[in-house]
Parts: sequence; structure tokens; C-alpha cells
Amino acid sequence: MWGFALHRWKWFALLTIASAILALNALTGTLKPMAEVVWLDIAGEGGAALLVLIWLALMLNSRPAGRVTNLLSLGLSGIFVAYWQDVMDEVIQLPTTIVWDHWLESGAMPVGMLLLTLGLYHWHKEQQAICDQLRKREKLFREHRDFDRLTPLTRAGYLREHLALASRRATPPLLLMMELPDFDADRRHLGEQDGQRLLQEVAELLLLNLRRDDLLCRYAGHRFAALLTDIDARQALDLARELEQAVAAFAFKSGQGRTHYSQLVVAITEAGADTPEAWLERANRDLDEVRRRRAANVAA
Amino acid sequence: MRGGSHHHIGYQRDDRFVPCHHHPALLLEMVREQGLDDHKALRHTGLFPDDLLDTSARLSPRQYLQLVHNIRRLHPDPELGFRYGQTLLPGHYGAISTLLGNAAHLDQALITLEDYQPLITPLLAPRIIRTGEYCCVQWLDSCGAGNEYRFLVESMMSALASVTRWLSGGPLPWTFQFSYPQPDYPEHYQVYLGSQLYFEAQMDAMLIPAHYLNQPWPRGSHTARAVSEQQCQEQQLALGCDTSLVHQLYLALIERIREPPSLDTAARELGLSPATLKRKLKHHGTHFQDLLDRARKHTALHLLQFYGYNSEQVARYLRFNDNTNFRRSFKRWTGLTPSACQQLVDRAMTALKPL
Repeated sequence: MWGFALHRWKWFALLTIASAILALNALTGTLKPMAEVVWLDIAGEGGAALLVLIWLALMLNSRPAGRVTNLLSLGLSGIFVAYWQDVMDEVIQLPTTIVWDHWLESGAMPVGMLLLTLGLYHWHKEQQAICDQLRKREKLFREHRDFDRLTPLTRAGYLREHLALASRRATPPLLLMMELPDFDADRRHLGEQDGQRLLQEVAELLLLNLRRDDLLCRYAGHRFAALLTDIDARQALDLARELEQAVAAFAFKSGQGRTHYSQLVVAITEAGADTPEAWLERANRDLDEVRRRRAANVAA
Repeated sequence: MRGGSHHHIGYQRDDRFVPCHHHPALLLEMVREQGLDDHKALRHTGLFPDDLLDTSARLSPRQYLQLVHNIRRLHPDPELGFRYGQTLLPGHYGAISTLLGNAAHLDQALITLEDYQPLITPLLAPRIIRTGEYCCVQWLDSCGAGNEYRFLVESMMSALASVTRWLSGGPLPWTFQFSYPQPDYPEHYQVYLGSQLYFEAQMDAMLIPAHYLNQPWPRGSHTARAVSEQQCQEQQLALGCDTSLVHQLYLALIERIREPPSLDTAARELGLSPATLKRKLKHHGTHFQDLLDRARKHTALHLLQFYGYNSEQVARYLRFNDNTNFRRSFKRWTGLTPSACQQLVDRAMTALKPL
């Protein structure tokens, strides 16, 4: 979440403008007699102004600074200013010689709407770009509860749902189970914080090396799973080697700036006629086997 | 320390003896990285954020459990217990950490855990059973953990699996057995513990072939052990007990399971009136008959699982007059008949047999 501090100037500017309008009205006009005040109008226009402020707060709270945010806030501010002047008109009688109030009311609204539309258009473009980036992390549908708190990936629950979907496809999909076999020792050596960061960075590295349509998730702890569709065994093997090499070549920097190298072990498991749960279990067993063989090689 | 005079009977839920800056601070630190508010996490624990930095501040088991409860509610990620466990042992708790970190082999590490349980695992007590062929580390609720029990099992099993992997220089072939059904997050059990998992298997235990007990570990330093062991003894002496009231009574019942004492006798031996013992047990969410049943159930399970006893032999060992009576009691303890239970534990045992 992006807090108040990031957008402090936007709020400050809006507050200044709103106060300026209030001051200008108060200085040049006179208060209407009670009898002439239509309370329903005040409630309607004041309520609208308040709602626009709430939209602005919600929007700013969920967005980082940037062009899209600027356009959206300018647009909403314009609309707010128009309503604000409307409220002023309800309680303050301005001399007929003054025209700026009319300009504020009728000008700020369309300009604000235009800017808001422009902002929404760019927001839509931005969303497309983000979706593109998220492609390998989430497929087809979004479920925020499945997102990992540690890495930018989804979790095992999300993977299980996709295994069921994928196993209905014509070409049998493959599951890559991957693990940093020395992570537990590395974590003790690097410390908790650097250990978590290592996992995050390895997650990014795996994402970069996977194909556009592959789904990567953090299965649990230091184990990752990638679901590959439309791929043959040869290609999958190549991909697995590439992932191993990418992790082996990755020079992780600890908090103190020291370089740390890791190893990745990968097991490839084909979908069978069994259930997704059984498939996952086979994949985990295959990974255990690969890890055992590696440990035996290291010992020899 | 509060309640110090009662300590020969074992520590209780409200005795403040767990150093705040040990386990509780680790747990809090873990969720703090995720932006959790300290004040919310410490709600109803009677603690303030400053207490966690105060090396003299102490927590009672009840306060520690409340902290676990708060954090699990605020941060409902099922991975938390396992990650927390990974960081627990040997830890940075002074002498006890040095002692554990310098174990010369698995057996020494397990002896350390069991002997100095209040210093290193106050809420969940390990009981080590060596049968010649196998070694079983059973985890038992020592203070009435209630809903937090599974979290504690997850974290202590993850802690022991991780620390023994680190100290021995490679993963050890533990088999895991759980009293509860498989939770809907088996992935964490698979990754943090291993692939040999048996749920709905009557007890929470970790099993390993006995020949791993004495394989030398690379880190053990004899001098460091000798010095730290002395300090641990002093600390435990100051505490005035080796374990909790509930666990102490459970162990006493196990020891005399063929002729178990009555509530009155047990109370007298502890220097308490029967009414006081009753009240104290109730405060820990249990009662005398419950503990006795637990002790009998576990003895029966161990005989079936590790010593190859059949149902009749177990009945005779536990001095039941007839088999029907025993089967009825067994069903009450476990929800299973002895033969169904036998089949269940046999599955776990085949996984343990060397390839």
C-alpha cells in the first residue's frame, strides 16, 4: 500500500485550491439569507464533492506515483473543484459582475472528466502491461488469496487447481519440481533476512528463464514448481538444464555484499492418468530421487 | 520467580520463566518483516514491545500461547509454524544453544533436548524412546496448548528436522507420525519435514533407525559441551524443575503403568491435596483419568509398534483381565480396534526398515 506521505503534495495542493475558492467567494460575495438556501441542493452537491474526495483517497492509497496517478488525480480534483464551487454558490451570493465562478463550475467539470478519461485509458494500458508481466505467475484467473507473501508467485493451492485444468489438454503437460537442496544450511549461514531475499531472487531468476506461458509457483519453503504445457520431453529437459545453469551462475549478494552461489535440482514429471494429487506426489518423489542421487554423487 | 516454591512439582501455565528474548522474540521478528503491528500481536499477553528487548523479562507458558494465538490469527499463513521452527534450534539462547550445537551425535542432541526441556522447548515436551532397533521422539503437550497444539507440533518437528540436518551435515531419514488428519497444506510437511508422513496415526512422533543415533557429527566440541552443560544444570536448578507438572505426572504414570497410582496417591507424592491437584490439572485443560488414559494408550501403541507385541500381549502387559475389556478400552483411547491400529502403524514401520 502506498501511504499518505507519497502523495502529500497532491493533497496539499487540493486543500490550497479548495481554501482559495472558499476565500475568494467569502471576500467577493455575501451570505445568502437563510430563506433562500436550498438544503437539498447543498446536501446533493456537498455529498457529491465528498464522494469525489473518497474516490481520490482510495485511488491514491492504492497507487504509486507516476503519470497515470497524476492524470487520475488531476481529473478527480477538477470534478471536485466544480462541485465545491457549486456548494459555494448555494450559500454565497456573488455580484452579477463576477463571472469566474461560472467558469469554475462549467469549466472544471468537463476538463476534469476529460483528464479522468485519459487517466483511465492509460490505466487500462498499464494493467495490460502488468498482466503480461504476471503471465507466468498466474494463468487464466486471479485469486489474491493464493498469492505468496514472500515471493511474487502463487502458492501450491493455485498449482493444484491448474494441474486439474492442464491434465485435460491433448498434449500431456509436464511438471518441473525444483529445489535449492542446500537452502537450509545456506539460510543458517546467510541469516534469515538474506535467506528470504535469496528465495525471492531465485524466484525472479526462474521466471526470467521460463517460457511465456509457463506457470511458476512457490510450492513451499525452498521448493518451486513449474507447469509446462505444449512441450515435448526433449524441450523440457533443455529447459530444466537451463534453469539449473541459470541458478548455478547466479551470484547472489548477501547484505554484507559477499557473493553466494546456489545449486538447483530439477525433476521432470509427466502427467499420467492419475489425479492431480497423485501427480504431485509422484513429482515430489521424483525430486527426492534426484536429490538422493546428487547427494550420492557428492559423497563419491 | 512467581510460584517458585511449587516448582518441585513441575512448572505450570502461569509460571513466568520463558525468557522473552528467546522463542517469543523470534516469533515476533518473523512476522514483523511482514508488517505486523507489535501492539496487536502482544494483545492480552500482558507484554509490551520493550519487554522483548529486556533480557530479564520472562513469559509464562500461558502468555507465550496467547502470543502464538494472536500471531496465527493476524498472520494465518500455514507456513509460519514451519519457518518459525527452522529458526528455533539451536538458537541463540546461551548455554543450552552451545550444548545442543556441540552435540557429538544424534543421541547426545536428543538427550540434551529431553534433559533441559524447560530451557529449550517449554510448551512441547519430547519423550525419547529407544527400542534397540529404532528411536522414537514423541512430542507431548506440556501446558495445555489447546488450539495451538498443531502449530507447536509443526514448529518443533521442523526445528528438530532442521537442526539435526545441519549438525549431521545432511538430511536424516526421519519418518513422521501425526495424531491428526492431513491438513489442507501437505506441501509444507513435504518440504520442511520430508516425504515419509503418516497422518491419523495416534501420536505425534519422529522415528529413525537406531544406528543413526551414534554416527559422529562434525561439529561436536567436548570442552564447549562440558562448560555449557554445567551452566544448563545451574539454570535448571534455579528453575527448580525438569519439566511441567502435567508432563511430570504423565511420565510418572508411564513408569508405573502396570500398577498406576490413584489420584490420591499421585497427589500425596507431589505433596498436594487431591483437590489441589485436580484443580491444577483442570487449569491445564486435562484431568487425572485423561492423563492415565493417554499414558496407557501410548504404552500400548509403543508395544504394538516397536516391540512387535500382539493385542493379547499388550492386554496382559497392561494387566487387563480379559481381551474384550482391553479392546473396549483401546477403542475408547484410539477410536480403532487393536488390529486396525496394528495395520496402521505397520505402514509407518515399513518405511523405517532399511532398504
